[in-house]
Amino acid sequence: MPREIAQLLLNGLMAGTILAVPAIGFTAIYAVLRFPNFAIAAHLTIGAFAGWLANVSLGLPAALAVGVAFVVAGLAGVLNDELILKPLRPAGALTTAIAAVALTLVLENVVRFVFGNDLRGYDLPIRRDWQAAGLRIAPQQVHNFVIAVVAMAAVFLFLAFTRTGKAMRAVADNPMLASVKGIDADRVARLTNFVAMGLAGVGGVLVGLDTSIDPLTGFRVILSVFAAAVVGGLGSIPGAVVGALTIGVGEELSLLVLAPAYRTVVGFAAILVVLTLRPRGILGERAY
Amino acid sequence: MAQRLSRRAFLEVGVTSLAVAAVPTRVRAQAGAIRLGTLTPLTGSGGNYGPSMLKAMQWVAGEINAAGGVLGRKLELVSEDDQTNPEAGVRAARKLIDLDKVAAIMGTWASAVTTAVAPLCWESKTFLTTVSGSDTITLLPHQGYLVRTQPNTQLQGRKFAEFMVAQGSKRVGILAVQAPFALPTQKIVGEELRKHGAELVAAVVYDKDKTTFRSEIDQVLRARPDMLYLNGYTPDVTIVLKDLYKAGYTGAKIAQAYAVNQKLLNALPPEVTEGTFTIAPSPAIESAAYKRLAQALGNDDLDPYSCQTHDHISLVALAIAHAKGESTGTAIRDHVRKISQGSGAHVESAVEGLKRLAQGKEINFDGASGPCDFNEIGDILDTKFRYEQAEKGKFKLLKIA
Repeated sequence: MPREIAQLLLNGLMAGTILAVPAIGFTAIYAVLRFPNFAIAAHLTIGAFAGWLANVSLGLPAALAVGVAFVVAGLAGVLNDELILKPLRPAGALTTAIAAVALTLVLENVVRFVFGNDLRGYDLPIRRDWQAAGLRIAPQQVHNFVIAVVAMAAVFLFLAFTRTGKAMRAVADNPMLASVKGIDADRVARLTNFVAMGLAGVGGVLVGLDTSIDPLTGFRVILSVFAAAVVGGLGSIPGAVVGALTIGVGEELSLLVLAPAYRTVVGFAAILVVLTLRPRGILGERAY
Repeated sequence: MAQRLSRRAFLEVGVTSLAVAAVPTRVRAQAGAIRLGTLTPLTGSGGNYGPSMLKAMQWVAGEINAAGGVLGRKLELVSEDDQTNPEAGVRAARKLIDLDKVAAIMGTWASAVTTAVAPLCWESKTFLTTVSGSDTITLLPHQGYLVRTQPNTQLQGRKFAEFMVAQGSKRVGILAVQAPFALPTQKIVGEELRKHGAELVAAVVYDKDKTTFRSEIDQVLRARPDMLYLNGYTPDVTIVLKDLYKAGYTGAKIAQAYAVNQKLLNALPPEVTEGTFTIAPSPAIESAAYKRLAQALGNDDLDPYSCQTHDHISLVALAIAHAKGESTGTAIRDHVRKISQGSGAHVESAVEGLKRLAQGKEINFDGASGPCDFNEIGDILDTKFRYEQAEKGKFKLLKIA
């Protein structure tokens, strides 16, 4: 039993780390632009396919494919925001959020139109797990874990130490004050979109590296991403990481008492519990 | 205002004249041709199969008509598209029943469409032939107005269990996707395994939208199975196979052929899929009926559904002939088992069967899909299955039996 729990914890930690990457993107957009951008699902898919093209067609290794996914999904995010979501923002957060759901459906079908419904796997050797002390872990999982940690570290460093990162935090904290100080809110919005959707794209590749991708890849993980952001505290970037790990580990540990078919309930239950008992989330709302 | 009135007047005149025009045709049709409806998925997720299913029926109708029709009356097909969508299927069925007055509707594919269309059929005493597999369909109170040529979960589960035992398996584990068939299949496979002295040692139902199934796999492997039945769809089985390989599982694996297909083999490295068995209902590819249909449609590798609709229209035409030309759903219901099974002369084509019936002989029709023998609720009693095994990223045919 202790070994079983240890294995579940390990699995949850790995799943949670991957989940944290798009969750950071989701929460960053919420912090700066004040609406839940569900279009992150479609950008996760776009990133997964961009990475797949880079990996399979151009023969780039996984780490470089992650970079390509970041840039492509990020640019797509900026473009979609400029053309579709930005004009709707004055109509309120709810309108924009609904438009984001619609945008996800459209983008998903664009991907389907171009690539078809088939499953695609990255061109990677599949290796047997490493086994130690009765626990097992896949080399690919470790690899993904490292990529996710590096991506998260880069985001933290960017927000903490660069001028642009500080500007983003300023807008998130107090948009009015930031604008008085001469920070260009539009520029910050574009940058936030680029980084956030880029992270979603990286998340797409990380999901795809371990499994396979199709146009619904993003849609399948969006609930967990949303739950992670809410549980950690919408708008808080460390909160997104904590939330993602909580959801990841929670979903795995639930298997001790629940049939696997009901695993998804953990995400919903977590949202329910947090909104009831601590609506601001575990870490509360801070932009960094 | 004036414009609206004139449009309404136009519509009234238009509809009335159309209705008037339609009446004589219908009267004429009842006296002359036998009108049958086809309802196949020409579009939607069944769109891969529907057009070919329709072609198979059109070909049989053409053959029958060329040979003089059913007791001198031509077959007239009215074809509609169910769009693989229950709502569109119901609309099309209503049209076929109310407007075209067809005696039978043939070829519904998706279980959801068949379930929606079946009540319209039995209430209007229209005969329905379907290729849907869900167990629940033949359990509907259809009063005999329905037969299907696709094996149900029960029959498929039995075949899987028998094959696993034949491979020497003693301890079987099931990893199934959360779907209506998951638990019924689990129950049937468990019962059948016990009959043969084997055992279902673990069964895990998973949520297909998860991106990894490592923990589910741990759970099932803890029971140390020597054979795993992967009862899911292609996307989730792809991940399960990968995770099984990573987990170091080396036992046997078996799956539905619609899940582990060539696309899946192409998407995964061969060492991950190596040795996986697949089972699928198979047309009777050695039969004369299959060979003729394959030639007519210009396709050596016919899908099971086109073979089944070939048999649907043959059965309907023969049942009408056996009922001395009474072209109603009730007559088809009462006579279909008299030409599909029993001690009559074995025939494999509708034209040949019609000839024998005209001579006053009894017949037993076997079609391109198989023996076409039905139990009292309309389920097929037996059909052939195709057994294959993945070898170096390709399928190797083991047997058709």
